[in-house]
Amino acid sequence: MATMKFLCDTKRCIECNGCVTACKNENDSALEWGIQRRRVVTINDGQPGEASISVACMHCTDAPCEAVCPANCFYKTEDGLTLHNKDTCIGCGYCLYACPFGAPQFPKQGAFGSRGKMDKCTFCAGGPEENHSDAERQKYGANRLAEGKLPMCAELCATKALLAGDAEVVSSIFRERVAYRGSKNAIWG
Amino acid sequence: MNNLFKRFSVILALVVATVFAPVSMAHDDATDHTHAATEGQIWAQLKAGATGETTSHGQFHNQPINTYDLRVLELRSDLLAPALMAALFGMIIIFVVFIKINGISKLHGGFSGKMVYRWSKFDVSIHWLGAIPCLLLILTGLTLLAGRFFFQPYIGEGFWAALVYGAKQVHDIMAIPFMIGWALMTLLWAKNQLPKMYDLKWMMVVGGYINFGPFKGKHPDAGFANAGEKLWFWAFAVFGLVISASGMLLLFPNLFEPSRTLSLIALILHSVSAIIITAFSIVHIFMATVMSEGGMECMVSGYCDENWASQHHNLWFDEIKENGTLKYKD
Repeated sequence: MATMKFLCDTKRCIECNGCVTACKNENDSALEWGIQRRRVVTINDGQPGEASISVACMHCTDAPCEAVCPANCFYKTEDGLTLHNKDTCIGCGYCLYACPFGAPQFPKQGAFGSRGKMDKCTFCAGGPEENHSDAERQKYGANRLAEGKLPMCAELCATKALLAGDAEVVSSIFRERVAYRGSKNAIWG
Repeated sequence: MNNLFKRFSVILALVVATVFAPVSMAHDDATDHTHAATEGQIWAQLKAGATGETTSHGQFHNQPINTYDLRVLELRSDLLAPALMAALFGMIIIFVVFIKINGISKLHGGFSGKMVYRWSKFDVSIHWLGAIPCLLLILTGLTLLAGRFFFQPYIGEGFWAALVYGAKQVHDIMAIPFMIGWALMTLLWAKNQLPKMYDLKWMMVVGGYINFGPFKGKHPDAGFANAGEKLWFWAFAVFGLVISASGMLLLFPNLFEPSRTLSLIALILHSVSAIIITAFSIVHIFMATVMSEGGMECMVSGYCDENWASQHHNLWFDEIKENGTLKYKD
């Protein structure tokens, strides 16, 4: 099977937040107020060296969230995705500490704003519930992968900065772009 | 004339070109360096933890990558989780075997029936205020740190989910009475727990609890607290502070707003403290309930048997006899 990955080409990302909107719209059934699975971050904003990058769960192969979770609620799919089971999640927040990308987010519930069940990008691949069931839609949102489609964020990216798909295909597209663009002051990349 | 002008202008153009060309080329280079960062440079900045602008209000969302030492993950799963299991179950096994071989510490003269005042009702209350939550925290904390490795493989999915969720809720709530108990015990009892010279001798003969070899039949001096109790008290005071402080960071992230890396460090310190407190707790419980005959009574009624007092805390017993603070139960 494939190993699914995201890649954001910073030379193409124009900070339009189309991916953010696409994600919010596609997964609306599962998203509690204030939860955003994908975001665009612009470094050196308005200065020389400005670059924007779209960030969500990177579906790590050896995922830190999976390693640190006390409830062991994460699992790897055969497509190499890192998904989680909200029925097992206890809302401790350790995955947010361990994740380098800030992907896990928590709705604030209960006394002192304690955390509810964690929510993160599913690569539009749903969750452990039956494909396209109500339970899946309400807990995890869309399941486009089961329909043979890629995540909505990458599909709707206007400049094709955000790529999603099998790691080999994604990296060969990016490699081709880099070779075509050339780079004056760099040996690679 | 026309020809001359042409020649002059060609020369002028060459001169201008040679003088200004390096300047303009240098300017191009500068532009490349500063204005158009390469992917490599962007990646280096992101990996170094650069933060930026984002429209998202998600937690830590303005930083694309938070880099930290990934070894903390293995430290938890490979070292701290088995260590906490060993601190609880390993210590129980060691103590059971030890008591089977060594036997318990009996009162030489049996129970006298005369009960000596040792702890106030308030002291007994704060002991249990800390102790009951402490036991629950150990069991739930063990489930949270080591459960997925040692319990989950043997139980059903639904039961595991309920167990770990219950453990988290109990752990969160019990933290509060534990901290109150810890603070009161540490502050109010410290004066009786200061180390003395005779504590060294107590340590040399392991408190006289060993019933064979050169240690047999020894009765080292002990004041209100013996050296072992003092060691436990100070370990509890220090690691209780570490476990409380790190626990507060993890329990109230909205109040203290710790960074992600600090939270992971707190998690490690919390586990290390838990391992030490758990191991000491097992020893403490065994000493009080099984090992030392008549010991448990102190934390039930606050009184101890006169024979127990003179056997285990001779210096304290002599002192209260002398200064007249000795009080018997009516």
